[in-house]
Amino acid sequence: MTRITEGQLARINLDHINRNRERVSVLSNEVDTGVKVRNPKDSDQAAIISDYQNTLKRIEGYSNRTANVKSFLSFQEDALAQVADILNRAKEVAAQGANETNSSTARAQLSEEIFQLRDHLVTIANSKYQGKYVWGGADDDDPPYDGNTYTNPSSGNASVRYVFDNETGTAITRSVNITEDLAITVNTPGNQIFDGSIQALERLGRSLAGYSTLPASGAPTGGGTAYNFPSQFSQQTDDIQNAMDLLETARATNIEPERVSLSGRQTRIDTAEALLSMTKNNAQAVLGTLQDADIITSATELQQAQTVLQASLTVSAKVLNQSIADLL
Amino acid sequence: MTNFGAKILNNAVGALAAQQAVIATASNNIANVHTPGYARRTIDLQTRVSRNSGSLVDVGNGVEIGKLVRATDQYLEAAARGAGSDKGLYSVQKDFLSRLNQLFDLTGDNPTVGTNLSSFFAAVDDLAADPASIPLRTNFIQKANDLVTSIKTTYDTIANLQAEADQRLGTEIETINSFTGQIATLNGAITSAERAGRVAADERDQRDQLLQKLAEKVSFSSIEGADGALTISLTNGFALVSGTTHRDLETTTSPTFASGPVPPSLKGAALSYIVYDYDSTAGASHIDLTQALKNGGGTVAGLLALRGYNDPTNTSAFDADGTLVQVASRVEALARELLTTVNQTYLGADRDSGTAVHDPSSGDLNGNTPSVYGLFDFTFVGTKDADGNGLPDDLSALGIDNFASRLSVAFSDPRRVAAALDSGAGAPAAAVFAPGDGRNMLAISALQDSNHTFGVGSYSFSGTFDEEWSETVGYVGVQSNAVEVQSSVAEDKYTSALNSRDEVAGVSLDEEFTTLIKFQKTYQAAAKLIKVADQLLDQIVSII
Repeated sequence: MTRITEGQLARINLDHINRNRERVSVLSNEVDTGVKVRNPKDSDQAAIISDYQNTLKRIEGYSNRTANVKSFLSFQEDALAQVADILNRAKEVAAQGANETNSSTARAQLSEEIFQLRDHLVTIANSKYQGKYVWGGADDDDPPYDGNTYTNPSSGNASVRYVFDNETGTAITRSVNITEDLAITVNTPGNQIFDGSIQALERLGRSLAGYSTLPASGAPTGGGTAYNFPSQFSQQTDDIQNAMDLLETARATNIEPERVSLSGRQTRIDTAEALLSMTKNNAQAVLGTLQDADIITSATELQQAQTVLQASLTVSAKVLNQSIADLL
Repeated sequence: MTNFGAKILNNAVGALAAQQAVIATASNNIANVHTPGYARRTIDLQTRVSRNSGSLVDVGNGVEIGKLVRATDQYLEAAARGAGSDKGLYSVQKDFLSRLNQLFDLTGDNPTVGTNLSSFFAAVDDLAADPASIPLRTNFIQKANDLVTSIKTTYDTIANLQAEADQRLGTEIETINSFTGQIATLNGAITSAERAGRVAADERDQRDQLLQKLAEKVSFSSIEGADGALTISLTNGFALVSGTTHRDLETTTSPTFASGPVPPSLKGAALSYIVYDYDSTAGASHIDLTQALKNGGGTVAGLLALRGYNDPTNTSAFDADGTLVQVASRVEALARELLTTVNQTYLGADRDSGTAVHDPSSGDLNGNTPSVYGLFDFTFVGTKDADGNGLPDDLSALGIDNFASRLSVAFSDPRRVAAALDSGAGAPAAAVFAPGDGRNMLAISALQDSNHTFGVGSYSFSGTFDEEWSETVGYVGVQSNAVEVQSSVAEDKYTSALNSRDEVAGVSLDEEFTTLIKFQKTYQAAAKLIKVADQLLDQIVSII
């Protein structure tokens, strides 16, 4: 016959009460926080949970940056759309000026609008985004285009020449990590975009204003002289038409490709973002399974555990109280 | 003719004494119903054998008190001690590892090394996207500091846990010495009492209780000699108690078997060795019992399993085994990788490959290039770049090994973040740096996805920073989980072993009260006998 002693009964009952209380404590924690795995010891999948949390944390960082990059690229897109408008308007003015029914005086009047357009374009090329010059490359703390002069004339709009400053770092572009596998170059050195347009507008403006520009092709060096009218009237017309061609070339080879590239980069970011959010959803789903408590199950189990604890307390109080001494 | 009247009186008196002895034993049992280690006692009653019966009709000579019996079973006692050793072994580990777990929070509520690593690299990417931004530079330094602080805190906490385990070992050894001393004294008392024919029940109770307590500290084997004295030996045969002599253990950080200084602990101090000094008269002469104790059970083995054992011939804290050392190795490996690979990348390529000294090609907003440990630095008195080659070196050559605890960020001025690379013509011309150049940050960022070799002591891992941290979290998880399961099994076994022991040795009030009733009645009956004998004698006296 098994002997059951008071000591055993007390120990067994206390043991049961402790276990039940611990279970209630664990379950109520789960219900309170919604989390089942708080520390590595709570799961044998701790390494996997940590992996997914690293992933989520990285995605969080990427998402913040992506938003910035997108707005930066769309700022550039808007600016380049304005540049395209400027070039179109300049072509209209040039076409009007190329017509030889215009006198040199009338052409000189048209030049004023061209110089306005040029200055507007330079303003765009020297624009800032969040305090930094957008098209200065790594040298983004001063304007990429600096004012210089032509020898002839010595004053007025036609004397102003804009040159890309080519300082240290202007050729260095900036690359931003959008995701683990995708880095996007967010800026292009300004000379690659604007040199052609600015030079074409200057040549056009100077021709209309009555000055030739040297050398005949490529970047102006500041040389050039006033046309002799009427002998060089047809030379002026040729220069105007030549500048019109340059405008078209600048639009087709510098501005449009950059606009296409910008929207291409934006599309890539959108795709990457979609992928990121997919990865994020996946990671969250896995973490949910591995780490989160199933509230309904936990709550139900908590209810049961409480009932059991209540029962074990009642049983202990009754059983431990019973003694033969009461009956004697 | 037989004098039956005298016999009746004799028997009655004997019975009264016997019933009283039984009732007294029951009273002792009842008094000790919840005394730990108490084994219930019973009195063997036996019929009294007549020495010289003059009659052919021997009606018997009544009852006499036989032996006092302690209800114990040595196998159940041994099982309870074994379970106690297991409980001690795992519960102390569970306690320490559960505190360690708080450093590896998985809820995201508290920052850990893992979350700070991600934040740091995010700050690197952010700065690469806008390198001249002072707020982003400040953020970069802040995140680098957060990372350094969390690595230091994690490492220091582990190192403190190790120091605490080491300190607790000292206390446990003192307790063990006190137990073995008492056991040796009780051995003497039991031997002399039982030589005189008495059952030394109280002394045995006390000794059993001490053995149970000792078993929770350390596992041992015990043999009881014919004289009742116990010999207690460790698993390697070293006798802790033999008869009335006991051998005191010691903890020391300068054991005589080590030829030089012993290897440092994670904190940099020394780990103690558990030794026996077998020749204390001539200075000291130690034998090492640490490993033998580590292979056993009880809290001592548990503490040693956490703290680790380092062979005295080793030189690094990370040569030790032990769970805490293994976790610390992982954190240390991470810190060293920051100090070497990240710093080296931060310097940029050599601008002047013709010379033996690395000429950094990265620069800050002030136009300066970083020093060797230009991003992550460490506290050290002496030359950090011993070979002077301008690159971070093999750190273990510096003679210290807790770099994780010495880690710092090299600067606090945001302008000093070397985000740019030289964009000039190259050496020998002076380096030039553009403010908006974030190429050096991109190089650092690339380190997040590249594989590194992390290795310290016996630990070696190849993978990314994130993967290394996850591996660490996984290691802590697996170890803690295993200990929790083993601890809960050991608790169960312990409870059930104590119950089995109590099934034999425990006092049952039901039983004692039944005994009381039974022997009270018998006592009354014996008393009645005296009255009967008295009446019989009266009868005879009245005839006269």
